[in-house]
This record gives sequence, C-alpha cells and structure tokens, in this order.
Amino acid sequence: MFKLILSWRYLRTRYIALASIISVTLGVATLIVVNSVMAGFSQEMHRRLHGILSDLIFESVSLGGLPDAQWHKDEIGKALGDDLVGITATVQVPAMLSFQVRGQWITRQVNLIGIDQETYADVGDFAQYLLHPENRRALSFLLRENGYDERLPESGWEQRRLRIEYQRAFQDQLRQVETSRQAALGGPLPSEELAAMLPPSDPYGSIPADPYSTTHGQHQKVEQFDEAKEQFTGVILGLMIASVRHRDPDGEVRDYFLCRPGDDVNLTFPTSPPSGHAPSAQSARFTVVDLYESKMSEYDSTFAFVPIEELQRLRGMIDPETGVTSVTSLLIRLRPGTNLAEARDRLMDRFPADQYAYRIQTWRDMQGPLLAAVQMETTILNILLFLIIAVAGFGILATFFMIVVEKTRDVGVLKALGAPSSGVMSIFLSYGFSLGTVGSGVGMVLGLLFVHYINEIAAGLEWLTGREVFDPTVYYFQEIPTEIEPLMVVFVLIGATAIAVLASVLPALRAARLHPVEALRYE
Amino acid sequence: MTHSVLTPDTHASRSASRRHLLQSLQSVDTIESPQQQPTAVQHDPNAALISATGMYKSYRKGRLIIPVLKGVDFAIQPGEFVAIVGQSGSGKSTLLHLLGTLDEPDAGEIHFEGNRIDNLPSKAKDVLRNKYFGMIFQFYHLLPELSTLENVLMPSMIGQGVLRYWWNRRDHAQRATELLDMVGLGHRLTHKPKELSGGEMQRAAIARALISGPQMLLADEPTGNLDRQSGTEVMRMLRSLNREQNLTIIMVTHDSTIAGMADRTVRLVEGLVERVG
Repeated sequence: MFKLILSWRYLRTRYIALASIISVTLGVATLIVVNSVMAGFSQEMHRRLHGILSDLIFESVSLGGLPDAQWHKDEIGKALGDDLVGITATVQVPAMLSFQVRGQWITRQVNLIGIDQETYADVGDFAQYLLHPENRRALSFLLRENGYDERLPESGWEQRRLRIEYQRAFQDQLRQVETSRQAALGGPLPSEELAAMLPPSDPYGSIPADPYSTTHGQHQKVEQFDEAKEQFTGVILGLMIASVRHRDPDGEVRDYFLCRPGDDVNLTFPTSPPSGHAPSAQSARFTVVDLYESKMSEYDSTFAFVPIEELQRLRGMIDPETGVTSVTSLLIRLRPGTNLAEARDRLMDRFPADQYAYRIQTWRDMQGPLLAAVQMETTILNILLFLIIAVAGFGILATFFMIVVEKTRDVGVLKALGAPSSGVMSIFLSYGFSLGTVGSGVGMVLGLLFVHYINEIAAGLEWLTGREVFDPTVYYFQEIPTEIEPLMVVFVLIGATAIAVLASVLPALRAARLHPVEALRYE
Repeated sequence: MTHSVLTPDTHASRSASRRHLLQSLQSVDTIESPQQQPTAVQHDPNAALISATGMYKSYRKGRLIIPVLKGVDFAIQPGEFVAIVGQSGSGKSTLLHLLGTLDEPDAGEIHFEGNRIDNLPSKAKDVLRNKYFGMIFQFYHLLPELSTLENVLMPSMIGQGVLRYWWNRRDHAQRATELLDMVGLGHRLTHKPKELSGGEMQRAAIARALISGPQMLLADEPTGNLDRQSGTEVMRMLRSLNREQNLTIIMVTHDSTIAGMADRTVRLVEGLVERVG
C-alpha cells in the first residue's frame, strides 16, 4: 500500500519528473500520427490498387496473347471452383496516343486496354473511377450528351457539335477569304499554302477523310462520316493523360484539360501478326467518351480503355476462319476471404510455367515493390521514433537518480519502519510506471487529436509558414489519408510505458540497496 | 484513554504469537558473527527484553578502520526506561542502530526476548522493526509528501498487503487518530509535516512509532532538535508511556538533564560501557 501511496504522491509533487516524460509524450504522439498517416496512405493505396487490379491477373507474355479465351476461362473456373466470383478478358498493349491542341500534336505513351464492358466491372472497381455518373452506373463507350464532372463543363456531344460548328465556320471564312483573293489576283493560290492554313488532314488511311480538305471552298454534303453526328469508337483516358495539374496564383490546385470527352484522338499500337510475320504498327482514330480518375498517378497517367472487340479486330486477334478470339490477360475476382497466394498456386499447377508462357500473379505480387517500400518506410520510422522514446528513457533515468538522491533520507526512514528492499524498489518502479502511463496516455490523446484534425492542422501550418505542407499535386490526394489501428496504439503505449519502467530500474535498485543507517545520516 | 491504544491484554495475547514468530524467523537463516568473544554479562539475559553481549562495531573510512564499539555488554529488562549517554563519537547512536537491527555488529550477539536477532535474515529484521520496535529520530524523519495521519499509518501500510490494509483501513485510521489524539495532534490530521512545529513533528513521530503496538521504543536524541519546553513535553510523554503502558524505552541523549528522567543510565566512553547507573 505504501508503494502506491508514495509513488502517487511523488507523481503529484515532482514536476521535474513530469517534465522528463514530455519527450515520451511527444514520442508517443508522433508514433501514433506517423503510423496513422502511413496506414492511411497504405490502406488508400491498397484500396485503389486492388480496386484497379482485381485479385488475380492471368496474362500471356506473348504479343499474340492466349488463344481461345473461353477455353481458358473454363479451365480457370474448374481450377478455382467456388472461389471464382468474376472473370473478364482484356487485351493489353503498349500504344502511342496522339492528339492536337491548338494545332500542336501531343503524344503520350499509354497502356491500351481492351475491356469487355459487360464483365469488366465484375472484377474490379473500374467503373467507380469514371467521371460521368451514368458511366459509373453502366459503362458505355458511347459519348454522352453532357453531365460530366464539374471540372469538365465543356464536354460531351454538346461540346463536340459546337466545336465542329466552329471549325466549319472557321474553314468557311478561310475559303471566302481565299475566294476573294483569288478573284483579286486572278489565279488560284498554291495548294500547299491552303493546306497549311487548314487543319491537318488525317494521316491514316483508315479514318474517313475530312470532307472539307478537298472541297476548296465549295460546300459539299458529308457523305461518309459526320463528326457532328457520329463518333469514332470510344476511348476512356486516364485523367492525367488528358490533363495537366497545376497550381493557380491563388494557390488552388486545378487540372487543365488538353482533351475532353468529345474530342478525337489517334492511337497507334502493334498488331498481332500470324506466325512468321513481324508485328507492324496499326493506327486508328477514337473519340474520348470519358476520363478515368483513380487518383493513383501510375494508372491515371498511362491507362486508356477501349472496347475489347474493336482492339481485337484492329490487332488481328480474331481467327478469320473460326472466329475464335485471343486475349492477352484474364482478370479474376475471387470470393472475399480466399487465400490469394493459394488460389494463384492452384492456377500455376494447372498451367505449369514449362508448358504455358503465362504469368499468373496476385495483385499484391504485381505491386510488391511498392507495398514493400511503404512497409519498409513504416518500419524504419517506427524504429527511429522508438529510439527517440529510448532517449527520453535516459532523461527519466537521470531524473530518477536525482529523485532517489533527494529521497535518500526518506528511504532510510522507510527501511527503519520495516519496509523491505523490494518494497522500496517497487516505489520507484511503480513511480516509473505511473510516469510512463501518464506520459504515454497524454501522448495518445495528443496523437489521436492530431490525427483527427490533421488536415486542419496542415492548413494552419500552411497559413502560418506560407509553405505547402501537403501538396496534392505531388500525392494526388486532396486530403491527408489517416487510419488509426487500435492494435498499433496499444503496442505504442505498452512500448513507451515499458521504456519508462526500464529507465527506472537502475535508480530503483540504487534506492533498494541504500544502507538504512547511511540513508538516515544523509544530509 | 491511553489504555485503549496499547492495553496490557494486547501485549499478553501478542507476546505468545510473537515469540513463535521470532523462533520461526530464527530458523530461517542463522548467520554466525565473525568473532565470538565470550564476555561477562552483567544480568540474566533470559529475563531481559533485549540484551547485547560483546558487541564490536567499526567503520571504515578510506583505508582507516575506526572502532566505535569495543565489546559492549548490557541488558534491558521489560518495562525499563534506559538512557544511553556519552560524548559525541562514543558510539551511542551506533549501539541504538544495532539494537534496532538497522546495522549488523562485527562481533557479539543481540538477543530479543531470548532469541538472537543480529543474524536474522533481512526480511525477518524488517518484520521486527515494523511490528516489535518503534523508532524515534532526532530530526523526526516524517515523510514530507504525506499528511500527519498518513505518516502515522505508514508502518501499518508497510506491514500489510494492499488488500488487507484496504479491508481494515477504517480500523487503522481510527487507531492512528486515537494515537494522534493521545499526543495532542488530533486537530492536525491532514497537515503536512512542513506545517507542523518541531515539537508537533516529534509527537507525530511518537504516534507513528506506537501504531504497530511495539514492545520497545528506540529513541535517538528525541529532544536534540527541540527547544526546552517542547523537549520537556516529549520527555513527559515518553515517561508516561513507560509508566502507564509499561513500554520499554531505550533513549540515546547527550543531555544529562534529559537522561536524568530515565530509570537508569548507561554511559558509553570510547566504545565501552563505563557505568550503568
């Protein structure tokens, strides 16, 4: 009983000791904040990666892909049994995207993915990252009239018609000017000069020619393709392919769009030639029908989605005789709770690597280095921060030695009154425990409050220092993601308290070993 | 009123159980003294409450060994009030510490109620100090963080586990309050030691020494730090405890007037008992 009452009184009366645990408090608070933010980042990243990648990815390493997708689907279904929830075929090829902005060609290297719009949504959260609400409900590669994201007011058919109308009016004007010049000079302008003034004609034979490029000022009804009424095959582009993120002078982060839904783009990709032939480049024109924003810059800056049938047709992946189609990948969604690695191994047994040139991976395998890097960062930060608390432990050690020296006579009195050495030791150990508990408890409250108001605190710091604390242009998160894991908080509290108790062991031993007579005579 | 605090009945009933406890403690671990020097005892050790025979004690100061006690023999009978007097450095405080098991003699034996106690294991000595001996110091040595009442309760807290103490906390508090009433501090229960005068602190220390119902009180210069009036008050209190409750008191003092209030005097000169008055 005397141990409890004395350690409690020492806690209440020795403020210097409380000061020594401020570093424990700060260490605990920092650990909680750092772990919560890292867990937030990690979880957000997992969520997005998993949402995009499906559980298992079954892909062919060859350009021609897997022949007969349906047979493969059936075999996978047999191997996975009830664990299989959804499967979809895709064709993935590297491609070059090009489009014009104010007469300038812009090219982007993209990962072109042909998707089955009926089944693709079954294996991942693809649809929820689209900007048009209708497409989020039911994916379509047809251009919508309007109603895209608030950042894209000038998008859809409405905008496409306006743009075409404007282009045509502009070209009409040019022709009128040309006609009047021709009349004044008495001869036609050199055709090259005229060509330079007009929008460039389609360099690819597969796309209907611009009817105005050859009319030389004469109105002529479009016969083959009316851009104002028709669209090319739809393509969904990653947001960062189509935009540039920048910061306004007023500090607001904005996306400037280089192309919007309703604009046309060219895609150039390799064909899948019959054996013995080298692949060649195939180009086609597509109409942007929506944008894709997963907020993972790796994906938003490279993914372009088109209908799988069109890509298979353009690449020559449909057998002209049998009509059997090839695909490059099969994306598989498993029943929640299924062991991914075990399911992957089952498929690997069914399709052994020495017989099939397939790569079978879980989404974690694919993002292994990224996830491992985040894990490594978290571990190193934890070690560093625990070292800070350990340094605080030395502060407690020094303070406790001072307190033991100060309390030498009291220790002598306690021993004279019959207190055993173990009891004297317990006073200082329980004092260390109380200090650790108070320090880590206050640290926990501070840390949790900090995590709760982290975005407000970041804004306050930005206002105070005039510097960006969390730059959305770098992280592609509008807010700092956080996730408090109760087990982590418990571990941090136990660790910090243990350090405080360990730091009090030596001073407590010293107090326990004090000779009562010498302690009573101590001045 | 004082009988309610320390009644003879209590003594009688405790005595048997204590003897049994002491015998069992004795059997735990007997440590023989380095030198066993048979010396002439001036009394019957079996009848004494506490006795010392051939006590030697020296202190080491660097390379120098300073002998303090050079073969002290004496015995105290139950109910005696004995003053140990002598000049500074004569070894009187050392003798008191040895009797109170706060220190161990280099040679010689100490017997309490016929049982040897100087070689008991430290846990057994802790029990002795907590339950059988009461101690008073020149500088009172109250714990500054605790109130007067808590200071008085401290030996009870030390002697019992948390649960047992908590279960009997009201009884303990009542007993401590009665003792503080007895020493005239009933109105100072919640005061901290720094809020008390020297005399009050010493009276609180006496109450603390009595809380366990000890058989013997060891007082080291109890009036050494008090003015004459407070000193006289404290001495009157000790005298009354001795007379009314038959409490054995061994007091160290260098003041012959104070020593004169005791039943007899043991004078130490250069580490030896010069005269037993």
